[in-house]
Amino acid sequence: MFAWKLVLEAIGMLIYATFIGFIFMGIERKAMARIQRRIGPPIYQPIIDTLKLLGKKESVSHGFIYDFGPVFALGASITALLFIPMGNFQLFSNNADLIVVAYLLEVPMLGIMLGAMSSGNPYSGLGVQRGLLTMVAMQLPYGLAIIALVQHWGTFKLSQLVALQQLQGWSITVPALALAFIVFDIVFQALLGLEPFDIITAPAEISMGPMVEYGGKQAAILFTQHAIQLFAETAFFAVLFLGGASNLLDLFLKQLLVLFIAIFVASIYPRFTIDQAAKFFWKWPTIIGIVAVLLTM
Amino acid sequence: MGENEGFINYELQEFKLFEPLFKWARKKSLWIVAFCTGCGGIEIPPLATARYDFERFGIMPNPAPRMADLFLITGYVTPKTLKRIIVTYEMMQDPKYVLAHGSCPINGGVYWDSYNVVKQLDKYIPVDVAIAGCMPRPEAVMDGIMEIMRKIESGEANGWKRYRENYEYYRKNQDKLFGEGWREKEAKRWLAWI
Repeated sequence: MFAWKLVLEAIGMLIYATFIGFIFMGIERKAMARIQRRIGPPIYQPIIDTLKLLGKKESVSHGFIYDFGPVFALGASITALLFIPMGNFQLFSNNADLIVVAYLLEVPMLGIMLGAMSSGNPYSGLGVQRGLLTMVAMQLPYGLAIIALVQHWGTFKLSQLVALQQLQGWSITVPALALAFIVFDIVFQALLGLEPFDIITAPAEISMGPMVEYGGKQAAILFTQHAIQLFAETAFFAVLFLGGASNLLDLFLKQLLVLFIAIFVASIYPRFTIDQAAKFFWKWPTIIGIVAVLLTM
Repeated sequence: MGENEGFINYELQEFKLFEPLFKWARKKSLWIVAFCTGCGGIEIPPLATARYDFERFGIMPNPAPRMADLFLITGYVTPKTLKRIIVTYEMMQDPKYVLAHGSCPINGGVYWDSYNVVKQLDKYIPVDVAIAGCMPRPEAVMDGIMEIMRKIESGEANGWKRYRENYEYYRKNQDKLFGEGWREKEAKRWLAWI
């Protein structure tokens, strides 16, 4: 028997996530503009941009893998989204979905890199190198933050994590997990590709990095992917540290909080170089992460 | 690049219905190629920063030519720059617009008798809107951008169509200036992956 209700719920969730993701991207641009004392674009600007990219009358292709990369990234983002408990909706659930989501959130970067490398543009190659280095650098603190969390709550299951947090208070009220929160927030900047760690798409240095050859419909897919990714990452953060959510409004407010921390950090810090980023990640966040893990033992 | 036949498929019949929506989106989201020639590039920072802030109209400087829509030719154009301009223009994807900025791309400006300045840009790539002045103030540039938005809305900004339809004419002028086969000899060297 085919579960129609579940499928409809999943599609509705996807539409909601895409829309809110676009609005988040708009809020990001608007808030940055306001911090720089500009007026800034309207908050639905990313939707207009995506429409425009879809309406391009020509699209350049560099082969099958080049077209496949954005689709692969989009698929990974959507899958990650369906594993995260949002309100009382969670399509897939198993005993270790925390690890699954943590890794599915990094797969889109690999998809973009796969497509970018096949375009043959030297800037894409450079961007991919930088992206892989950032990923390697941020794995260690990312892993430590999640280990601390799992050790404290004793579960890998996201829905159980939410239930435990609603019984015993949010994760950040536990001192050891507050340290893990700081580590995760630093890693979160790199996950979102925001300012101190936006070395992948450094617009002034390597002209958008992996995105340089994308245009038209592929770029529109990448924009949609970024919106869903932004929604999924902020929701994941809210579920891990801010006690999850019982309804979508609650989730939205918590996501907005997380997003604004990221925006404020991004708008005051300049960009790290690659070696500085790797050195930074393997120094302070790693030390704080190890302390957090030791405290939860 | 290079092919000149069998590519006039720019009016996609399937999307005719959505054309007004796309037109509105194109008007509201012009991305500029970050490519500055001559002295006009210095007028872009005031436009982008707090005083004039073109981002409120959805305009954004974008370093990748594949994603960009609007090409600002900011100042005089030498033959060396023109080669890059043509290649960048051809890399941009199809509804694309050119804004010539200042008197130099119109008639040479103060370089009217120079041996090494391209006097009339319109012979090599189609220009949609030209702003006179040396230098045009940021207000004038803003006005030019508004004019381009109006033309996109009314469908008059059809430089990209003209480039496709009169490709032989533009190609002939370009070849006259640079000599035959400059694309294969030089542009291929910069863009080896295409």
